[in-house]
Amino acid sequence: MINFILMVNKQGQTRLAQYFQFLSVKERMTLEGELIRKCLSRSETQCSFLEHRGYKIIYRRYASLYFIIGMDLEEENEMAYLEFIHNLVETLDKYFENVCELDIMFNIEKAHYILEEMVMNGQIVETNKTQVLAPIHVLDKAKDE
Amino acid sequence: MFHLSQMDQIFLKSLADVVRTSRTTSQYDKLTFTTQTIADIKNEIQSRQESVRYQALLKLFFLAMEGNNIRWAEFQIINLMGSGDFQLKLGAQLAAHLVIDNQSQGLIMVTNVFIKEFKCGHVECSTTLSCLGTIANKDLSDNLLTHVLKLTTNTKPLIRKKAIAVLSKIFTINPMNISGNLEMVIQQLQKETNISVLACGISLFCSVLKVAPKLYPLFLSIVYDQISKQKSNWLLIKLVRISNKLISLEPRFQGKLIEHYTRLLNQTNSKSLQYELIYSIMKYFKNHSQLYESAGDILKQFLNHQDPNLRCLGLECLTHISTSAGLMEFQEQILESFKKSDYFSKLQILQLFKDFTNQQNFQTVIEFFLKHSDLESNHKIIESLIFIITKDKFINVDDPEKLLLIYIPVIAQKIDTIDNAIRFKEMLFELLTRVPGLKVYSDQLCNQILQTYATQSDSLQGPTLNIVQRHTQLKYSLNHREIIFKSLIMIVGESVKLLKLEALTNIIQFLEQLNILNCYESSLSDIDSLLFKIYIQIIKTDPQNEIIPQIEQLIKNIYNKLHNISIVKISFFYESLIQNKSKDQLQELQNLYEEDLPPINLEAQKFIKPPEGLDLSKSFQIDIEEIEKIKNTNSEYIEQKQLIQQQQQQQQSDSNQKEQEDQNNQIERRQENEEELKQFNNKVDPSPKKVFKINRDEELPPGIDQNDIKKFKEEE
Repeated sequence: MINFILMVNKQGQTRLAQYFQFLSVKERMTLEGELIRKCLSRSETQCSFLEHRGYKIIYRRYASLYFIIGMDLEEENEMAYLEFIHNLVETLDKYFENVCELDIMFNIEKAHYILEEMVMNGQIVETNKTQVLAPIHVLDKAKDE
Repeated sequence: MFHLSQMDQIFLKSLADVVRTSRTTSQYDKLTFTTQTIADIKNEIQSRQESVRYQALLKLFFLAMEGNNIRWAEFQIINLMGSGDFQLKLGAQLAAHLVIDNQSQGLIMVTNVFIKEFKCGHVECSTTLSCLGTIANKDLSDNLLTHVLKLTTNTKPLIRKKAIAVLSKIFTINPMNISGNLEMVIQQLQKETNISVLACGISLFCSVLKVAPKLYPLFLSIVYDQISKQKSNWLLIKLVRISNKLISLEPRFQGKLIEHYTRLLNQTNSKSLQYELIYSIMKYFKNHSQLYESAGDILKQFLNHQDPNLRCLGLECLTHISTSAGLMEFQEQILESFKKSDYFSKLQILQLFKDFTNQQNFQTVIEFFLKHSDLESNHKIIESLIFIITKDKFINVDDPEKLLLIYIPVIAQKIDTIDNAIRFKEMLFELLTRVPGLKVYSDQLCNQILQTYATQSDSLQGPTLNIVQRHTQLKYSLNHREIIFKSLIMIVGESVKLLKLEALTNIIQFLEQLNILNCYESSLSDIDSLLFKIYIQIIKTDPQNEIIPQIEQLIKNIYNKLHNISIVKISFFYESLIQNKSKDQLQELQNLYEEDLPPINLEAQKFIKPPEGLDLSKSFQIDIEEIEKIKNTNSEYIEQKQLIQQQQQQQQSDSNQKEQEDQNNQIERRQENEEELKQFNNKVDPSPKKVFKINRDEELPPGIDQNDIKKFKEEE
């Protein structure tokens, strides 16, 4: 089960955070700060998997943004989640057309909506980009009208 | 609620304004900016205009990402969930997980809102289901269960998939809801064709198995059906994962899956699916050689891959092999990948070898890791090697002599932390205790290790261990080298009786070096006691007095170099002993302390001047009865003393016989040791070597008596 999904930039500023178990604001800030420091200290030759505070962490870097998933330590397929991160980025890229950090900052509710379509209750429910973006296109059409 | 004037609306800050201002604000002004923004949001969120409330909600989102507490907005957000405007509702539902937890009071209000939303269009319904999946607690899930169950039969796959995903949370929170409802869901899933819905169904089964594993028979047929016909990699990964759980509950299910696993393994190119299959096969399919071999081939590719992620996953897979024979098959690939790996992967590999090293690969493993240690991972490598050596009372060690003389000196040179130095010390003591014949090599071991210590001048560099002696409260600091040095000195001291004269002389010559004495100041008392033991041993074994003068000179040189006052005090006795050159005087000392001193020594009065006016011939005692009593007690004492003396004489004659036998045994042992040393010095590796038996019993090892231990204690 996924416990949290984060998008954090190199300065340690969180651009998107989805937690599937409740943590206080202080706990979240501490966790995010520690995670980004750990990810920044790793080189490109090192693997994208590590353990931190009882979570299995899978991360991937896209330009200045780190996409970080935290899971339970029990048996999980890290490779599948690494590919899911790429799937998420491709979906965001398809919607925003050449997605960047600012797109996520200025359209934060849409980024959250796309993520909620893909992950529910810590489980991946949809990976098809068309299916994920269909409801949001309906909303955009309704808004334009 | 209030209505913003047109003027106010002009100056209303949107999300974009807040983001831009936040990025340009300095750190010192951030707090002011945040406080001002929160104050604005509190006003705006109560506005009647939906656009204003929507903007306030977006700004709230942004502030939450920045790390600000927005739980004060719980009631407002719940209120917005019931709004007529879909955009507002959506924003509120997305923000719900930021402000609502299991114990929120406002959850009671949400029930009716959700029931109303479930009857709306499919987009509203799906967003509501997503929100419910995030914030559901026990009460909310019990209240909404029937509604969610109805939605599992909806015509839209979007609704069906989300309803099933919510059900997995409801069943986890309250397992009582499972009975009666799960069968209905399974029946629907058996007819289901949409992959996303099926994937959610498999996730539901996984959640139920965690909470109620005995219900596994309900899932077997559906999982088997899907695994035989599905082509979606995501779904197959979930199916293989749930199959692992089902196999652990029902082992007969394993046989049904062999054919499908073989097909999938041969056909798929997806690395994540391959990894899932390999993981499952390594853990559960060891008895099926063909499948196991094909998985092993793919695993080898993972271990040799350029991508560090695949190498890391390959290693993680290997932890489930759980046999040494299994690990041996992949040993080459693992050791190759160690050279390219990062620190985290190296730790994984070390853990593997800690668990699965055996006698067959022991030497290969030790030699490899000693060769490939680097600065970052050196301390972990040494720690792992010491663990491998000492595991199960040296069960992996087949050649203790080689270990002691070749590998241990190299390990000692590589130690750079105090923890490892202490582990090394304990390992050395245990090895020498369990293998009786090894103490003979203690001087060679010392020489090999201490030679490097003598050449390097970094004596007290690095972290130190602070020690306070119990009886003296003396405080001193030791670094890792000194800990090893002390332990080696102690080992040599205990094996002094087994060493040759030449070896003992070499040790004293080594200790004479000034840099050793300066570097290891805290160990001077240990050096002192070692010198004393060596000196006593040399006196016993050199009856012709050939080497003693040379040794005495060396020891004197050492004491001359020592300027430490406490050591001078301790060694005062030793120095005076050395000055007594004749052996007879030493024997006299021995005789002096062996006999009981009589109550009155007639000759003492020769040296003690009696006081003036004292008449020695005059008796002290006037009372005649008292005088007779004293005479009687004295005569009784003298009789008893004679009896004791007779007994002691008998004991002495017995002990003399024993000593003669011991000396004969020692001579035989020395001859054997000389032969062994000859063999080692020739560096010939004869097949019929002396077999060192490692005593793994917890009692005393053979060759060591209680009397020996007592003697050591007395000497110390």
